[in-house]
Amino acid sequence: MTNRYEVVYIFDSSLEEAQVNEHLERFHALLKTTEKPEPIRQVNHWGKRQLAYTIKGREVGYYVVVQFDAETRQLAEFERLIKLDESVLRHLIVIDEGATPASAVAAPVEPAADDVGVEEDE
Amino acid sequence: MRRHRKSCPICEMGVRIVDYKDERTLSRFTTERGKILPSRLSGACSRHQRQLSTAIKRARQLALLPYIRGYAR
Repeated sequence: MTNRYEVVYIFDSSLEEAQVNEHLERFHALLKTTEKPEPIRQVNHWGKRQLAYTIKGREVGYYVVVQFDAETRQLAEFERLIKLDESVLRHLIVIDEGATPASAVAAPVEPAADDVGVEEDE
Repeated sequence: MRRHRKSCPICEMGVRIVDYKDERTLSRFTTERGKILPSRLSGACSRHQRQLSTAIKRARQLALLPYIRGYAR
């Protein structure tokens, strides 16, 4: 069965964008099938970002978010390839639920702030 | 005294599915130490509270949010 998935990669920040693209191509080549020659819907490079905590001694990671279509049985091999790659610090594959994009959520802090205050005021 | 609260802040934002990549919004639903706020405090409806907790856990895996804020470094 085909599903929409979303994968987030965190690459080693010492890699250049071209090198990251090389890695991505290698991963994504695995998803291509004869029925679906173009499985990738969207590739979004966030670029270098501060990590909230250190991963393998790194403070900064290169984030890439990719939406793609794939057969469920393809995923195991796909994920194995990612895990074998040492330049990927961390990855996450989830079913794409079509979440509202982050920009649309950039909302005022006001409503919840007074509730949070209850605990912080102590 | 606590004000009575009815409306869920996520519903008010017009969001149907909470995005785990939006750490700015998610961090509003964590305590200063990075724990997930209970719905009692966050005011989120149960549907959105469930989504929030999953989203925060995913964001933690991706180092978008800390597991413990103010720890290390």
